[in-house]
Formats: sequence, structure tokens, C-alpha cells
Amino acid sequence: MAVQTTCPFCPVGCGVYLRVADGGLAGVAPSEGHPVSRGRLCARGWAAHEAPAWGERLTHPLVRRGGCLVPVPWAEALERAASGLHEVLARAGGIGVLGSALATNEENYLAVKLARGACRSPDVDSTLRSTYEPLVRGLTEGGAGLPSPGALDELERCDVLLLLEGDVARTHPRLASSLLRAIRSGARLFTLGHVHTQLSRLATHHLPVRPGRERERIETLAAAMGAGPAPSAARSGPGERLLGARLARACRPGVVIGPLAAPPQELRELGRALAELLAWLGRPATEVLWLPLPVRGNLRGACEAGVAPDWLPGWQPLEGDGPRRLRALWGAEPCASRGADAAAIVAERAGLVVIGEDPSATLPLGERALAALAERRFLVVLGAFASRAMERAEVVLPIAAFPETEGTVTSFEGRRLPVRPCLPPPGQARRGWHVLRDLIERLGLARDAPLSFADLEREMAAAVPASAPALGTAAPGATTPGAGRPTAEDGAFVLALDGPFDWGSDPLVRFSPTLRREHVSRRKLFPDGLVELSAQDAERLGLRLGQRVRVVSACGEAVLPAARRADLEPGVALVPFALREHVVAVMGGAFRTEVSVARV
Amino acid sequence: MEATEATRATPGSPSSAFSIAKADLNAWVAGLLEAREVIAPTAAEDGDVLFLPIASPEQVLWEFRNPLAPPKPFLFPQLDPLLQIRTKGRGFALDPVDGARPRILLNVRSCDARGFAMLRAMFAAEPADGAYLRRADATSLVTLACHEPCAEGFCVCCDAGPFLHDGFDLQLTDLGDRLLAEPGGGQGRRLLAEAGPLFAPAAAGDLARRLEREAEARRSFGPATCHFASAMRRVSTGRVPDALWEAMGDWCLECGACNFLCPACYCFSVADQGCDGGFTRCRLWDSCQYPAFTLEASGHNPRARRGERIKRRLFHKTSAQYYQRDGAVGCVGCGRCVRACLGTTGLPALVAAVRRGAWHG
Repeated sequence: MAVQTTCPFCPVGCGVYLRVADGGLAGVAPSEGHPVSRGRLCARGWAAHEAPAWGERLTHPLVRRGGCLVPVPWAEALERAASGLHEVLARAGGIGVLGSALATNEENYLAVKLARGACRSPDVDSTLRSTYEPLVRGLTEGGAGLPSPGALDELERCDVLLLLEGDVARTHPRLASSLLRAIRSGARLFTLGHVHTQLSRLATHHLPVRPGRERERIETLAAAMGAGPAPSAARSGPGERLLGARLARACRPGVVIGPLAAPPQELRELGRALAELLAWLGRPATEVLWLPLPVRGNLRGACEAGVAPDWLPGWQPLEGDGPRRLRALWGAEPCASRGADAAAIVAERAGLVVIGEDPSATLPLGERALAALAERRFLVVLGAFASRAMERAEVVLPIAAFPETEGTVTSFEGRRLPVRPCLPPPGQARRGWHVLRDLIERLGLARDAPLSFADLEREMAAAVPASAPALGTAAPGATTPGAGRPTAEDGAFVLALDGPFDWGSDPLVRFSPTLRREHVSRRKLFPDGLVELSAQDAERLGLRLGQRVRVVSACGEAVLPAARRADLEPGVALVPFALREHVVAVMGGAFRTEVSVARV
Repeated sequence: MEATEATRATPGSPSSAFSIAKADLNAWVAGLLEAREVIAPTAAEDGDVLFLPIASPEQVLWEFRNPLAPPKPFLFPQLDPLLQIRTKGRGFALDPVDGARPRILLNVRSCDARGFAMLRAMFAAEPADGAYLRRADATSLVTLACHEPCAEGFCVCCDAGPFLHDGFDLQLTDLGDRLLAEPGGGQGRRLLAEAGPLFAPAAAGDLARRLEREAEARRSFGPATCHFASAMRRVSTGRVPDALWEAMGDWCLECGACNFLCPACYCFSVADQGCDGGFTRCRLWDSCQYPAFTLEASGHNPRARRGERIKRRLFHKTSAQYYQRDGAVGCVGCGRCVRACLGTTGLPALVAAVRRGAWHG
């Protein structure tokens, strides 16, 4: 048997057949007729069957007794979760709910219903939202729209492309495949980033930039074309002028923004600067193909389901018809105030429900997030795989992994794609939407009859108005030119994480024997962490292979091994996201900071 | 299929060929299903065709574009449990997992059958791989000769189609209202005997028509011009500059599809899967295009760069050293590495680049 479903990794949404033999997953096959992948899968897609079969799966509901998690019947686990959350509410301790880019749209919608409906709490978010939504918000404030179905095909027809790199060949290989085809068809690619990546080597021109100075570079580009608010010290090179001229004359320009490790406000300003740049060049945003890339699978779907502090399902604002619509569906007044973001929820809320992912694996704070979880009075974890978060949980509810559940996910182009089950969940695990539904009902949003999946689909459709408000209709936030710009003098180092996410921490990679190898190897090779420097900087500092450097910031310092990279911009000290624990004292949970680097 | 049975067929031989009316095909397949599992091309989602176990004869496609996914996983599964390892007393008990069962692979195209012959040669070489051979020996291979060339296929350059002369148990040829069936050995003859009166000895006209169809197919598939030879000269003698491999490497996205979909590729790794009270040692498909394929425990990787991995793949596929060992280039010309390549580095593009000494994406 083979069941066509949606690849669970990146947000491109490729079609993949899962082969089932002898009651287990036996492999995958590509779908040549699928409108997104057209038969092309990346290495992750080819190993999609591995983690659910090889992973450390949760098979029984667990509750903490005497310091240990012990298996209990479902009814008892759900009752313990509901009563624990009730107690937190009674003490006015505050409850937060974390949805996830690993969860389906239905699970994320129910996460919102659990928080804003059943717990009357505004605190619902996902740990990766802040890597994507602010960028989209900035773009829409500048007049650009979210990509729509067909954008991937359109990308192959663009004649001029600007790629803000997040090493898209590694993070979104199927999208990189379309970029390669566009280049082969004659498109001019311009890349902007601090690493000479695979795609930058194929570019017409690569514009090097230090982390955090992307917006400044965009404004320099505008200045080079005699437009926009030029920074006082704007210096434009031939690359900027060539890109500006090409963008201005392009028949079909496209802008692809890979996952960037940057704070939310900076992403928002960058998005707006990009949209305004094209407008300055005489290209209304509607003439441009905009492709902001979520870093992981269903991040756009989670945002659209309302997993966010300041809007409701379907990007609806907290004010207006949204709350009324939800009240009619839920039979209870939704909490429509602005909530905290994921980092604050993890750090501060007394009650926490975590769905699908381990916050310590995705938050820049890393393991320090676990310390916050340790102080939590009541933590409920819904997961398919064992995780570090479980160690602190009062209740663990085992849910189905992607081959065992039904639902939908939303791709980066906005396609609503099916997730189809081909196996039952292992042991006593249940489908995630099932568990959330039961928990919501036990917390007081009961119905006459249990919500079926069809009911849920209808409810979700009714929760969103026919013409959903576009993201960014909110009043534009104040943008101060230069805000968030590094202030260090030239010559100082920018210590930056190499992206906002580490695939090696993702359960679908961590438990895959094929995909985990490189990640495990790197962790083993660098048990004391790693900082990568450009060949020029390494030369200047007189560094030999494996020699240690002292990295000092305003927050603190760390001593760790250094390695040289030929493809890195001078002045940048790069730390793999997976090894960020070793520089938490220096970076303080940020994506980037100014440092000095000296040989030890 | 049994290697010893794969004797050279004699097309047009009046004594060996039979024919079956198309109206009787469902009855034949129903009979096959009574005794064994039948794997055949079937219609899937979005217009896809997949080789899958069938439950009824109506599922079998008799006219189809060769599926993107070859039937390879039915003999060489992507996840192949080989051995159960359990603690026993103070030691371990090792029990082989026998995945063999009586099967028919029906309507396999010639290129895929040629791929199975290559896999068999590799797995039968000492030390012989019992898991593969048991599965292969329990499987009968019924091929369907090709009349229409694939858009990306070049089997004529690899001596892998459109018709076969060995390496099958039964070769079917479409003659319009009936199929001609040529047994390739004892297993094929037994299949025909089992079917009884559904198959009748082929008429002289049928045999003549079969030869015409092969000649027509060869004409429509184009000249058997093979550029492997010139690539072989350069690859085997190290006359391809490193810069060219590096240039190719930038157009590869390391998806591994060229390995996984190749009927002749067999890269694998081994890993243990925990189960109740022990482990199952499994063979997993792997790709020589993945950096971790040659990553050593020390962290050293002898083929750390994409260009080096592409060089290795092309060396295995086209070098004189491997040609001498295997008696053929390691390609069956199915074109799947072109259809599924996430980059632009399907085998024909690589061969062309080596031959011309230049890469243009």
C-alpha cells in the first residue's frame, strides 16, 4: 500500500507517497503529478518514513507521581491535565499554549481554542513565529502580499531574482531547485548575505553584507538608484547599481527571503524596506513575486490558524467581528486581548501546554529554556516523540506523528495540503486534534456530541470570514531608520547564529538514521562548541586549526574552538544554531551581538 | 527470478512463444493472484503510476508511462530488516528475517529488468547476500516490451531496451488484440503451463509481427549512439579537471534521487532499530551523493565536496575499471535521474559535460 501525503519537513509542501508493508512504514516514493514537487524530493523527503518508525515514540499517557512519570489510562491523564490547568486558573497564575510548525492546521486551531476559549488566556504562540511573521508583516506594510498557490512555478519564470540568503539550497532544496531552473532559463540571480553559499556562486552578483546590515544594504541600493532615504554614509558599488538597474527593467522580478536569524523588529523593517525599494524602482509590489520563506513545515499554517499573541484565526484582528464569530462557534467568550510571545510564555507563565515540539530545541535560549520549564508549576506536553520538555512535565499526552493522523498543512505558497494517515498511532497514542478536543471539553467548552473531524473542518471554515483580512492591515509600526543596526566600528566582530533553526534538533531528523548523521557528527566533533571565522580573520589572528578564541561581549564571554571558513565574510564570527548553548553567556539569547575575538 | 534460468530467449522461435487474448488478461491475473502476490503498475493520485501489490486484476495498467519510482524496492526495499538480535542468556540470539515470498512482478519495463540483472550480479558476488537472493529467487519477472520511447529515456544506448533478449521470466509484447509471451527460462514456462488454455502457441504471423514491432521500436527509439565511451576514456584516465567537477557540484542539491530511483544503484547503510527485547538490524537505502555516506568516525570525509561525490558516481557508472568488472556501464537509460533530479545533474548531463569538457548548468 502507498498513501500520498504532504512531506512534513520544510514549508514547500512536496507530495510524497508513504509505502506501508507488513504493518510498518517501508519507504517513500515521489509523486510526479503533484502540483508542488512534480516528482522532485530532497534528502529529507526521501527519509520521511524513518523517524516515525525509528524514533523514541510516546505510546502511553504519563503523569508525574513521586517525581517519576508513570503510565495511566487516558481518562486519568486528561483529568489530571484539566484539573491542573484549572488550579492554575484559580490561582490566576496564567496559562500559556504553544502551538507549533510541526502541528497540523487543525491542531493549531485547537491550540488557539484551548488558550483563548477554554483557558480564557491570550497567551498562545509558537516558538518559530517570530522568525517569519514580522517579515511578512513588514512586506505587507510596504504593499507586498503573501505568496499564493503557483508561486513556485512563477519563480521559474522570473527574469531577475534577489535572494536574501539563509542558505536556501540547504533549508528549502525544492525551492532552490526552482531557482536553478530559473537561472538555467536565463534569469539573473543576485544574492545578499554574509556567506558565499552554493546559490551565491551561481549568482550574477553576490552582495556581501554583515549580519544585521541587510536593511542598510537595501537602502544603499535605493540610494544608488537615486531613490529612497539614503543613509548618510551610503556607499554603493557596481553590484548595487547592476541589481537596481536589472530590477527596474525586469519583466518579472522576484524577491526570495530565506530564513534569517534576526530579531522580529529588524525583520519587520527589512520586509518594509524591501517592498519600498521595489516601489522606489518603479515596481509596484503587485508586479513583484514575493517569497518570504518560513523556516519550518507548517509555520504559515500555524500563523494563519491564529497561533500568535495579537490576532485571531485567519489573521483577524483582536478587535472587530472576530471575537463575536468565535463566541458563536465556541459557546464562550474568547479572550481577545494581546498575549505574550513564546519566549515570555515559556519564561513566565505558571501553566503551560506545549504541542508537538520542544521549546528548548527551537528557542535561541536553548537549554536555558528548560530551566524556566523546571520552575513551572504545571506543564502539559503533547508529543509524538520523547523530548527534553517531558523531563519537566506533569502530564505527557502521546499523539500521532504525521503518518498516523489526518489534517491539513499550509505551504509557504498558501496551499492547503492534506496530511493523510496510513498507519494507526503506536500503543495508546491518539491523534493530536482528538486529544486537544477532549482537553478543551474537559476545561468547560463541552458540546452535546463530540466534535468530529468534519465538524472541526466546518468550524474552522466558519471561524474565518469569507474575505479574510490581509495581514498588515494594522497601522504600520513606527520605523526608525537605522534602528537595530549594529553600532560597532568596522573591525569588530559580529557574533551571529548561522540561522534561526537547527534541523538536527527536529525530531523528524534527530530520529532518522539517515538524516541525523552529519548533525550528530558535528556535535561529537565540537563538544565545547565552535565559532567559525573567515580565512582572512583567522589569518590575521594567527589561528591554527582547532585553536581556541576568547569571545567577549557586553553580556559575558566564552572560550571555544575556532575554525576557518573560506566562504564567510570578514568580521563575522558564526556559531552553528545547534551549538548556541556554548555562547549563551555571550549572546544572552539573542541571534546576534557585537564581540571582540582574541586568540587564547 | 533464478539467475541460472535466465537463458537467452530466441525471439520468433515457434516452439517457445505463446499468445493470450487481451480479453483473457484479467482471468490470467486472477489466476496468478491465487498463488502469490502480484506487483503491477497501478493508477495512483494526481495521474501518478506506482508499482504496488494488487488485489484485483482490474488494477493492472497495461498501457502506461514507466513510473518514476521503479519496482526496485520489491527486491531491494528502502528499509530492509535483515536480522533480529535478542539477548539470550549471557549472549545474543541472531535470527535472520526472511522477507522472501512468492511474487510476480508484472509489466516491468525492459530497463528495470536490466537493472534487476545488475543488482543480482552485485548481490550474488561473494560474499553472497542471502536476503536479496532469497527474495529474488522467489520472484518471477514478467516484462512488457516498450513501443513508445520515454521522453528522457535512452535505453538503446545501454543495451537495456526497448526489447530484451535475456534477464526475464516472461516477456510480453503488445500485438494489438493480444499479447505475445516469450518465456526466458523455466519459471516463465511454468507460468505459461499454470495458465493452461489462456495461452495458445503463437501463430507464425504473431512471431513475424513481434519482430516487426521490435524493429519499429528500435527505429522510433533513435540511434543507439552512446556517449558513454568518450566519457569513459576521460573518467577512467583522470582527464576531467577538478574545476569541472566543482562546477557540476554547484548544480546538485544532494537529494539522492539519482541513486534511489536508479534501477542499477545499490548504495546502502546499516542501522539497528530497537524493538521489544532487542534490535532489528536493517539495511537502509543510502546515497553516495550524501556527505555523510563517506563521513568517518574521526570527522574526516574523503569526499567532503559535492564535486568529489559526483566524480565518484560517474566513475562507478562509466569507468573502464567498472565496465571490465561488470561487463556494462552502470546505467540502464531509464532517464529517471533526469526526471527526478532536484538540481540539473542527471547522468546524461554529466556525461555530456565530461565529453565536452564544459558545464553550462
